[in-house]
Amino acid sequence: MKPILVVGGGPAGLAATHALANVGQPSILVEKMDRLGGAPIFSGYAKLVPSGRWAKEAIGGMVSRVEQDSLVTVKTNTKVSTFDGQPGNFTAKLSDGTSVECGSVILATGFSHFDSVNKPEWGFGLFPDVVTTTQVEQMISSGQGVRCPSDARKPKRVAILLCVGSRDRQIGREWCSKICCTVSANLAMEIREELPDCHVYIYYMDIRTFGHYETDYYWRSQEEFKVKYIKARIAEVTSDGKQVIVKGEDTLVKRPITIPFDLVVHAIGMDPNVDNMTLSAVFGVDLHKHGYIARKDTYGSMGATSRPGIFVAGAAIGPETIDDSIAQANAAAMSAFAVSRELTKEAAE
Amino acid sequence: MPIHEKSLIRPENLKVHDKLSIDGVDVSGHWSTFIETRVVPDYNEALEKEIAAFPGGDKIHRCFQCGSCTNACTINAIEPRFNPRYWIYLIRMGMEQELLRDKDIIWQCVSCHKCTNICPRSVEPEGVMKATALWLEEKGYTPESPSHVFDKEFSRQVFERGKIEDTEVLHSFLVKTKQPLLQDWLVAIMWGIAKRVPVKWGLKTALAQVFKPRTRSWKKARAAIEDYIYEEGEARKEKLSRSRAKQPHLEAAE
Ligand SMILES: Cc1cc2nc3c(=O)[nH]c(=O)nc-3n(C[C@H](O)[C@H](O)[C@H](O)COP(=O)(O)OP(=O)(O)OC[C@H]3O[C@@H](n4cnc5c(N)ncnc54)[C@H](O)[C@@H]3O)c2cc1C
Ligand code: SF4
Ligand code: SF4
Ligand code: SF4
Repeated sequence: MKPILVVGGGPAGLAATHALANVGQPSILVEKMDRLGGAPIFSGYAKLVPSGRWAKEAIGGMVSRVEQDSLVTVKTNTKVSTFDGQPGNFTAKLSDGTSVECGSVILATGFSHFDSVNKPEWGFGLFPDVVTTTQVEQMISSGQGVRCPSDARKPKRVAILLCVGSRDRQIGREWCSKICCTVSANLAMEIREELPDCHVYIYYMDIRTFGHYETDYYWRSQEEFKVKYIKARIAEVTSDGKQVIVKGEDTLVKRPITIPFDLVVHAIGMDPNVDNMTLSAVFGVDLHKHGYIARKDTYGSMGATSRPGIFVAGAAIGPETIDDSIAQANAAAMSAFAVSRELTKEAAE
Repeated sequence: MPIHEKSLIRPENLKVHDKLSIDGVDVSGHWSTFIETRVVPDYNEALEKEIAAFPGGDKIHRCFQCGSCTNACTINAIEPRFNPRYWIYLIRMGMEQELLRDKDIIWQCVSCHKCTNICPRSVEPEGVMKATALWLEEKGYTPESPSHVFDKEFSRQVFERGKIEDTEVLHSFLVKTKQPLLQDWLVAIMWGIAKRVPVKWGLKTALAQVFKPRTRSWKKARAAIEDYIYEEGEARKEKLSRSRAKQPHLEAAE
């Protein structure tokens, strides 16, 4: 039985290989980083939405499950260089010089974090106390706690700016990154828990804590943790040398905002993976107009791309949550499994 | 509180009952909105279309009310009532009467385009401000603004000859806006130029005042421009009149 090639060892890739192993199907997991786990592991996320479990432990569990599975061959520090063939009979040359044969492929190559330097008016890279949600995740997950990078003091006032790198034509990013509202509400609660004297403000245009996240994150952060929500898209972040100053219009009361903060947090969005152009060329799959990997259809063969035999799952498709990425990976595994088994059967007949 | 209801509790909109008793209780005086529901009928649902019919107003429908334009705005910093985000909301909701409360400041936009540069939806709010100012003029709510007078004279010369004569533009502008021709700043500039510019150029400028040179073979271009302007104007008129006809409650009030 030819193995199935899974590219990307984040939550989606880990879920896909595990699902395949469960039905006795061998797979090869190719990951470009030196370890598995994807964004939650190498960006050091803290407690995950919605489970409340530490990323290291929850996603770490998925990693060791796959690493211990004899049906999964893990290749870290590896990329696919060239790719050729037909469904049931593909050949992939890897960057380590080896070559593998596979029946079908699942692309689980995920996303890239938006780089806040591309939004200079919001002060990232200019003022040390302007950070991103990933940095705050790391402050919490490392056990250091939430501190101002400039002088390690405990912030008394924190502003979280939503939609940084999302919903913005100026920088060619028109999508909503889906998870950052909820992640921000979650972080706001964690900050309030660690530093009860710290005021946390969230500046929003819309709050998109969809489904159960509405009560568990949005409402809870307001009702139990007294996080304050202000309807404004911040126009500019400056500094008086001591604090960072946030400027905008409080659109509900029609009043200008010029408020000092100790720490400003960018709720950064999920960009298409910076590798997508290369992936598209190597695997011969079409990209979505925003640069993610395009799905062929929504309701037919789950996770199908424009090229038969190649499937896609997780944040490679667009901004996705971990649990949705896992669900898509299981569905794509089903599709990929069917393709390779069908063709194996045909060959045997 | 939504802005629509806010307008009901402005002093001029409050209801006053000098003598009123309900179930034997004296409730004379100023009435607030909660005692009696009042319907707000004066929505102009075509307002967004009307503004969109003017040059620059065509992207107004994109706005998602983030407030970036207002915060970045040069004029808002010195005049808080100058609020592009808010006016765009009023226009889109059709709250013409609310918009008209600010009719005398909308033209103050200085076209710095800070709003355009920051707007995440590419609404180009500067264009919307211009469109709104023109709409106010066309509907007769405001007199023609000085900047519009200037623009008109400027473009008139371009259309006619493919060229402008600075002196003539300025002269006509001052005459049309009933301002004295000898402005201090103007005199200072003239002296500055006269001292520096070679005599030959001075003569050329003077001659241009008399002969008004044209761009060569401008006729065709002129005809095309005039056709275009005519068509645009007609299309706009039609849109305005059509949306007007759909406003029975406004007509009744007139
Ligand atoms: C700040 C922040 C906090 C978040 N918190 C949560 C949360 O609490 N709960 C939640 O549900 N979601 C959260 N998310 C979203 C979550 O990160 C994603 O849903 C999840 O990472 C998607 O998993 P994935 O496997 O599809 O992609 P990724 O996690 O991006 O994994 C992709 C993997 O593919 C590898 N790869 C990429 N390109 C190649 C290539 N060319 N060759 C080989 N390998 C490659 C990458 O190295 C990576 O290991 C958060 C996102 C952000 C930005
Ligand atoms: S999820 Fe929230 S913060 Fe993220 S892009 Fe969407 S609206 Fe903005
Ligand atoms: S162009 Fe006009 S509306 Fe826009 S920022 Fe400048 S003054 Fe304000
Ligand atoms: S910046 Fe653009 S989207 Fe935001 S309120 Fe102004 S016009 Fe609307």
